[in-house]
Amino acid sequence: MTTTSATPEWAQLTMSPDECARERSRFRRHALKPIIGFLGPFLFLWTLFLAVPMGWATWLSFNEGGLVSDAKFVGFKNWTTFLNNDELRTAIKNTSVYVVVAITVVFGLGLILAALLNNNKKSQNFFKVALYFPLLIPPIMAGMIFFFLTHYDMGVINLLLQTAGQDRVNFLGANPNALMTIAGLEVWRGLGFWVLFYLAGLQSVPTDLIDAGKIDGARNTRRFLRISLPTLRPLMLFALVIALIFNFQLFDSVQALTKGGPTLGTTSIVWFIYKQLFTFQQSGVAYATSLALLLLVVALTIFAYGFLGHRKDGLK
Amino acid sequence: MKVLADGDGQDLIALERRSSSLRSAKSAASYAVLVLFTIISVGPALYIISPAFRDSKSLFSYPPQWLPSEFFLGNFQFLLTQTNYVRWAMNTLIFATGVTLIALVIDTLAGYAFARMQFPLKKTLFGLILATLMVPTAAVLAPTYLLVRFLDDWTFGLVGIDTFPGLILPMTVSPLGVFMMRQFIETLPPGLYEAARIDGASEWRIFTRIVLPLMKPAIVVLGIFVFMLQWANLLWPLVATTKDETRVLTVGISTLQGQFVTNWGVIAAATLMTLVPITVVFLFFQKWFVQASVAGALKQ
Repeated sequence: MTTTSATPEWAQLTMSPDECARERSRFRRHALKPIIGFLGPFLFLWTLFLAVPMGWATWLSFNEGGLVSDAKFVGFKNWTTFLNNDELRTAIKNTSVYVVVAITVVFGLGLILAALLNNNKKSQNFFKVALYFPLLIPPIMAGMIFFFLTHYDMGVINLLLQTAGQDRVNFLGANPNALMTIAGLEVWRGLGFWVLFYLAGLQSVPTDLIDAGKIDGARNTRRFLRISLPTLRPLMLFALVIALIFNFQLFDSVQALTKGGPTLGTTSIVWFIYKQLFTFQQSGVAYATSLALLLLVVALTIFAYGFLGHRKDGLK
Repeated sequence: MKVLADGDGQDLIALERRSSSLRSAKSAASYAVLVLFTIISVGPALYIISPAFRDSKSLFSYPPQWLPSEFFLGNFQFLLTQTNYVRWAMNTLIFATGVTLIALVIDTLAGYAFARMQFPLKKTLFGLILATLMVPTAAVLAPTYLLVRFLDDWTFGLVGIDTFPGLILPMTVSPLGVFMMRQFIETLPPGLYEAARIDGASEWRIFTRIVLPLMKPAIVVLGIFVFMLQWANLLWPLVATTKDETRVLTVGISTLQGQFVTNWGVIAAATLMTLVPITVVFLFFQKWFVQASVAGALKQ
């Protein structure tokens, strides 16, 4: 009797397996409720405006119509048209040339200016603000500003050339000038960003490494080439991937300056998608091209994340 | 011996002097390069002031006229009376602010959930969202457009082409924002809210009373980042709007370009009027702007 007197109390504290399962699910529901509140809004919009469009685009790339008329399944037809489309081939070629030119120039200049700024501590802030300024300007308006520089009749550069008795340059009406002008616009607008990006990188190069270089008698240039640059390498590779992804989406400056012309000379991949979709109503081809662009970007992203691990030991 | 040592000292001083003059020549050269690029950066935008205050015909005159001969206000007058510039500017403000506010709310909430809460499939879900981090607007442009057109019917015209919800909502989804917020919340010391949790505070209370006040810098940086991105956005507004009632500045200004004749003075005036306010805001908050753009890239 003395030993069993505690049993009823003890039994109240335990649960049968049934009760236990019920309690567990009740607890889970209770714990899940705030999660739905916190995660729900983002997840809903993400599903609706990112996941669904991506899935839909995949499905529609195997269909004809879909924009105005009903979709009709045509298998890989869009993909083969898309691969054999001459205009698209030109667009891919133009975009690639643009990307290579713009990135090479902007990276080279950005790195040089960042290095100069890094040694010029006194007025660093002024130059940072000045170089950053063009980034404020939306690309379409930067395009308008560029008209006033490069227009054949009223552009400042041509007016100066004319005043100096030189021949005018047809910046926008001839190939490959037009594409180079667009690359110039991107360099002008983006330069400040890369200068700041590299400057942040250069300032995070451990000072003991630089001091060690100084003690060993390495000059400024040599210290930059042999110490700073190798430390920055992971950051630069990563920046390269971001710049590639960003620049492959060339559209705004084409819309502002050339509308794809002269004779497809500045037609870019996104411009091609836009045209196919809204001018020619060739939606299937547009979806296939969109997906190809997406796959390209995903491939570049995976590449970028491959370097992410290395990036961390280069910084901080 | 003493004399020699003195000579050595003289040599050293001379060497020092020579190298310091070399150094100052070098720094003058680097200064010149920086000044040159400052002019290149700021000059073209400053030049816009001249054509904005000139009659478009005078832009094509030869010999060139660099500065306005008179204070011509016709371009601004045209812009304010003959076009819907004010409407476009308002729309840009509604669009960019709307996207920024919604994005900030959903990103901080989701960032908190991913940083501090435990739930099934958390890792898988976060991985899926991260996978869409780099999806460019251009690549999902066509299906998003199609979706918003369909939503027009399904939501009885609430979300659709030529409506603000249709313009704003698709742009609010940025996995990058969630990622940035999660990273930031994870750096906060967990002791702060573990005490509150033991005291029995709900997740919502912990979030609003403890985490949110600490997140101000991250919120400002993300806010500027999103606003800058959206106020410059052309592609989506171009596709999602067809009327002046919802058209934003970037689209509006591109419609000023005529098929055959373009009134360049008006375009210069519109560009100038758009750039002045943003430049003023930028000069006040430049540190935050710079931080936002670099943080955006470094955290990607």
